Amino acid sequence: MGLMAAQKPLELILARNLLTSISTPALLLDHHGGMVFYNEAAGALLGRPFEDAGRMSPEDWISTHGPFGDDGKPIPLDDIPATQAVRKGRPAHGVSRIRSAGGAEHEVESSTFPIVASEEGSSGAMVLFWPLGANGGEEAQG
Amino acid sequence: MRVKVWGARGSVPSPGPMMNRYGGNTSCVQVTLGSGEDLILDAGTGIRTLGLGLATAPKVNILLTHLHLDHIQGLMFFPPCFRPDVEITIWGPASPEASLEDRVARYISAPLSPVEVRELPCSVSFRDTPPSEWQIGSATIHAEAVNHRGPTLGFRIVDGDTALCYIPDHEPALGASLADLEPEWVSGYDLARDADLLIHDCQYTDEEYPAHIGWGHSRIDDALTFANRVGARRLLLFHHDPLHSDDFLDDLHATARRRWAELGADPTLLEMGMEGGQLEVTPAPASAGVTA
Repeated sequence: MGLMAAQKPLELILARNLLTSISTPALLLDHHGGMVFYNEAAGALLGRPFEDAGRMSPEDWISTHGPFGDDGKPIPLDDIPATQAVRKGRPAHGVSRIRSAGGAEHEVESSTFPIVASEEGSSGAMVLFWPLGANGGEEAQG
Repeated sequence: MRVKVWGARGSVPSPGPMMNRYGGNTSCVQVTLGSGEDLILDAGTGIRTLGLGLATAPKVNILLTHLHLDHIQGLMFFPPCFRPDVEITIWGPASPEASLEDRVARYISAPLSPVEVRELPCSVSFRDTPPSEWQIGSATIHAEAVNHRGPTLGFRIVDGDTALCYIPDHEPALGASLADLEPEWVSGYDLARDADLLIHDCQYTDEEYPAHIGWGHSRIDDALTFANRVGARRLLLFHHDPLHSDDFLDDLHATARRRWAELGADPTLLEMGMEGGQLEVTPAPASAGVTA
């Protein structure tokens, strides 16, 4: 079958199609919590399109984009609401700081929706962001 | 592996003089394995005629892609259902809402039906398709959810070196650009990859599709792009719209063959699903031929 990534489950494929079609910044996590896709609006917020960034492991994502605590340090993987959403199949909502590829910080409100299609557990999760404050989405403008 | 089409129509039976050649019965395909067993793919109205010829089969396996009426309507008129010596296993998609038996029983029950499932003389069992491959006769079967409305499966059936893929209801291009997506993000890709025969939805022309986006079916362009992306060696276009007459489908066939050739494929290996049509499927493209 060659060196090709395993096909994503249908529910993740449909979620990606949805995220592609909306203007709210959003990303898609797989069942390991790895980032497998983000949409154009998220690309504007994060300072580079998904096509340039590619998929990222949870560790790479956290070290690059956060979320960061008040002390400026990345929040540990196990403490991130999105991690809990993937692991436990429960929704999460909160406010946090993320950092763009260019170093700009954004305070964002985020909601994470676990994607569950079978009794085997979560296939992943959708995370939607709403930038807060004047700095929100600045890179989207330019 | 031999394939016989007993119903190639989608949505609703559409008999009539304008439909005689392609047929008006809804989805049903018989697959005869190398080991001699038959698999029946879907139970549209075409299964009624198929059942008349299964006079001696003690065991019948029916694989349902989903439970829309055009894929189960023939069940109640399937002659083996009324023979006490027959054991029927019906495989279909799981649902969190109700068991497969309970969902099928909504159709085979009053007031829609004069009989209930429990009254059928045959021995019938209902099985959710397993998440991993399973075996029937000499075939290894893999079912995977595909993009349609409601829980819907496609099947990959491998018998020896030959692979058949059956995805009669499929809209892989919904919200996506099929030509550009990485394979891992294409609905049905793994099921259909390198299939020796792909039986695939082609309900709409490209002109008809914009009025039917999200209805769960493919236009010509998407069916061909999908088949080309997965590397299908041979393609049978299926699930014809009930409004499409024989002459219309002839034109659609010619258009599809022309575009298939433009994609670099052999146009003679693109066929239309036609009631009564039989195909011998082998792994060698050159040796596969339509016999009826």
